[in-house]
Amino acid sequence: MAKKKEEKIVYVDSKGKRLDGRKQEELRPIKITAGVIPRADGSAYLEWGQNKVYAGVYGPRECLPKHSASPYKAVIKLNYRMASFSVPDRKNPRPGRREIEISKVCGEALEKAVFVERFPNTQIDVTVEIIDSDAGSRIAALTAASVALADAGIPMRDMVCGTGVGRAGGKIIVDLNKDEEDAPDAVDIPLAILPNSEEIVLLQLDGVISKKEWQEAYKVGVKASKEVYEIQKQAIKGKYAGAENETKKAKKGVEAQ
Amino acid sequence: MAKRIVIPGELVTEERKKLGSHVFVREGKIYSDAIGLVNDESDFASVVPLEGKYIPQVGDVLIGVISAEKFSVYLVDINSFYPSVISKRDLREILKPGSVVSAKIMKVNELNEVDLANPRVFFGGEIIQISPVKVPRIIGREGSMLNILKEGTKCSIIVGRNGRIWTKGGDIELLKKAIKKIEDEAHLSNLTNKMQDFLKVKTAKKNEQEGEN
Repeated sequence: MAKKKEEKIVYVDSKGKRLDGRKQEELRPIKITAGVIPRADGSAYLEWGQNKVYAGVYGPRECLPKHSASPYKAVIKLNYRMASFSVPDRKNPRPGRREIEISKVCGEALEKAVFVERFPNTQIDVTVEIIDSDAGSRIAALTAASVALADAGIPMRDMVCGTGVGRAGGKIIVDLNKDEEDAPDAVDIPLAILPNSEEIVLLQLDGVISKKEWQEAYKVGVKASKEVYEIQKQAIKGKYAGAENETKKAKKGVEAQ
Repeated sequence: MAKRIVIPGELVTEERKKLGSHVFVREGKIYSDAIGLVNDESDFASVVPLEGKYIPQVGDVLIGVISAEKFSVYLVDINSFYPSVISKRDLREILKPGSVVSAKIMKVNELNEVDLANPRVFFGGEIIQISPVKVPRIIGREGSMLNILKEGTKCSIIVGRNGRIWTKGGDIELLKKAIKKIEDEAHLSNLTNKMQDFLKVKTAKKNEQEGEN
């Protein structure tokens, strides 16, 4: 820590490289697998840089407790949980203020994408478990949950994809990691959109940002979110492409015999 | 057959086509609302889903399992959103939790609650659970796949629209393998011929083994 105070950290160097060698508008490496939990109706596993997330979807099913049901739509009950070993210090496993808040905002974001009005009086349970975290976990959770919902076959208007955008060291950057989030002038904006209509379904902001900076951040954020969308697309289709290849292999085997 | 996989929110077509199932229109273009297969040559813009829960429809025949007994009715689990009921007056037999019945859907209300009729009780046998969206593939065009399965395994098979298959007699282990194969390859074409070959090979092998013994 003493060293940090003496030297000023350069968040974006003269070549446009960041602390971990990424470019300003570059995402961390993302890997998504659909259909990893056989017992769930739909599921997904996501690795986003150091973030590791499991998402499971159950339902639509009978809404319990009954007073939480709506006769007009299905209620999405998203449960965001962080494992106690997912952060450097042990996290108290009891759901705290932060987790309850994230569960609420992410659930509301998904509600915009799902055709909830087709399943009145039911609930859709979405459970998101954060196994390892390194900033941007709520967007990682939302991305994984969206893939899991599609995997469950729940009718949706669109996928939900997103990224973190913000400022560190006076520069607008995409997908901040923990070191960048801890910058003295850091601003972190989780941004989630429906990629086809570019409708914003989740937007939070801590810090102060000028209008000009925000307009730039929004532009690069939408662009990066669409990259995430392409990865989601490949992940869902990959589940079936795999089976296709296997039968091709089996066919070749038969022919060889 | 040019079929491609689409995900929710993916464009099905920009042309004006008749609307089929699992699609919606936004700004004059047709989009998919589920993960499924699209046939671009068809006149209909429709998506054949690959995943999904059973949504009851009037006229469907389904297979239910009795879950509880009330004063004048049995509660039936029909693998949908809510359990349904069968009146004791409609039945001659006395049922217990776990008994298997088939019934036809008479009415579905706006909450997807179901009224059943024509109950029929099954004794013995086994239930195989599959994904409800893959039931059409198990039945095949005009029952072609079902006939192949019946011939190949010598089982008596009743398929419920809710993804439950009741089966008794014959080679149930082989039937389970065959159904698993259909489920895994439901998105591929020419499945009926493939299954015919699969069952032929398996039964030939079995006959050989029995011959050796």
